[in-house]
Amino acid sequence: MIEARGLSKRYGDLVAVADVSFSVQPGEVVGFLGPNGAGKTTTMRMLTGFLPPTDGSAVVDGHDIFGDPLAARRAIGYLPESPPVYPEMSVEGYLGYVAKLKDVPRAQRRAAVDRALERCGLANVRRRVIGALSKGYRQRVGLAQAIVHDPPVMIFDEPTVGLDPTQIREIRTLIGELANARDGKARTVILSTHILPEVEAICRRVIIMHRGRKALDAPIEELRKTGSLEEVFARTTAGDVPVEPAA
Amino acid sequence: MRHVGAIAGRELTALFVSPAAYAVLTLFAVLAGFFFLSGVLQFQEYVIRLQSFQAMEQLGELNLNDHVIAPFLHVMSVVMLFLIPGITMGLFASEKANGTQELLLTSPITIWELVIGKFLAAAAFVLLLVALVALFPGLLFLYGDPEIGKTAAGLLGLLLVGLVYAAIGSFASSVTQSQLIAFFLAFVLLLVLWMLGFLADLGAAGGGAGGEMSGDLLRWLSSAEHFESMVMGLLDTKDLAYFGVMTLGFLTLTKAAVESVRWR
Repeated sequence: MIEARGLSKRYGDLVAVADVSFSVQPGEVVGFLGPNGAGKTTTMRMLTGFLPPTDGSAVVDGHDIFGDPLAARRAIGYLPESPPVYPEMSVEGYLGYVAKLKDVPRAQRRAAVDRALERCGLANVRRRVIGALSKGYRQRVGLAQAIVHDPPVMIFDEPTVGLDPTQIREIRTLIGELANARDGKARTVILSTHILPEVEAICRRVIIMHRGRKALDAPIEELRKTGSLEEVFARTTAGDVPVEPAA
Repeated sequence: MRHVGAIAGRELTALFVSPAAYAVLTLFAVLAGFFFLSGVLQFQEYVIRLQSFQAMEQLGELNLNDHVIAPFLHVMSVVMLFLIPGITMGLFASEKANGTQELLLTSPITIWELVIGKFLAAAAFVLLLVALVALFPGLLFLYGDPEIGKTAAGLLGLLLVGLVYAAIGSFASSVTQSQLIAFFLAFVLLLVLWMLGFLADLGAAGGGAGGEMSGDLLRWLSSAEHFESMVMGLLDTKDLAYFGVMTLGFLTLTKAAVESVRWR
């Protein structure tokens, strides 16, 4: 479903991401971990087509991000670190607009918006203006825009940051539901976060990034044998994995 | 190009839920009314004076087109120079400040669709401004007999100048995430463009070597020169080509600026 091959991003001499390869199968939920500045967001941005990689490539749902960027982007639902919402729009107006941008056919648009509102618990605020919503609700609107076109691949960048514990639980449950929707379609989720219990709760596999490189890629089950996720994380990100400067 | 409508529609709605559009429209209507009224009153006074001197020959040369409508359109083109940056400043800058740029650039749309959609929204607003301006010469048709062709050419000129301004405003908005900077950058660019004709005249007066050729170039680049000939009722392909080249040129620059996020 997602196939990253040697993704690299350099800004002059600064290496943000170096030679990251991984593949994610349909139906997998992968936790994307790493300290701040490890290159998580940059990697996600390369997968979503926001930033082109300096080197390497990726295939999303069978579409190469260079060869057929529009088809690759159509297959992705992406929630950036801060929800990309227009404060002056109403919740349903905004989701309708995103549905148009994501090529949801006109006849299905209403149903798609209703479904996204329903799943993200936004039905009771559908006519409210986004700017007047609480942070938790705004985050849900961000999630709703990522799923409105029912994409096979979903990429969430720190979806629970800045929320209170109740909201975090709600969002977490929601993401779990999204990945395991009971309609027989396999969906892939990549989720970046700093909250380790969150990963243990919804992911079956973790990728840990450190200093722009992939430092670990293993199923959670396997990691549990060697200690808690927290210990694994500390061990993996403590070592000095040197990143050679760009040639 | 099927996303263009969605983008333009959202942009126009956003414009009209913010107070900025109404502020611009109000200011524009008030200024238009003021300049039109003062133009008409001046014309009336002039006519009365010529009549009292029995200057029949000069009286015969007076007409509404050259003495009321042309100066009015000129003033309004200068007013647009101030107001259009206020409309275009948010086009791209606010997307960057909002973080919605990330939504747009990860959606299956092309950058041209984005740029053209936004430009069309601004163009619709310019059309509204020109329609407001057209009301005033319209009044003159009720009470006098100006030439319709000349008036229409002038209004078309105003529309084309407005579109060039909107394209320049889009470009200014695409290079910054601050609406304030976008406004002033657009304003400075428009002012320079408008003043190039004066610069050319200054250069010609100085009479330096090679001054003539650069003077011609400056005059060609100046929006005021091309607008001038349209207001006089001359529909020349040279002028139409100028407006087309400027608009498309600045839209191309806008596209490059939006795309440049991906180069970094």
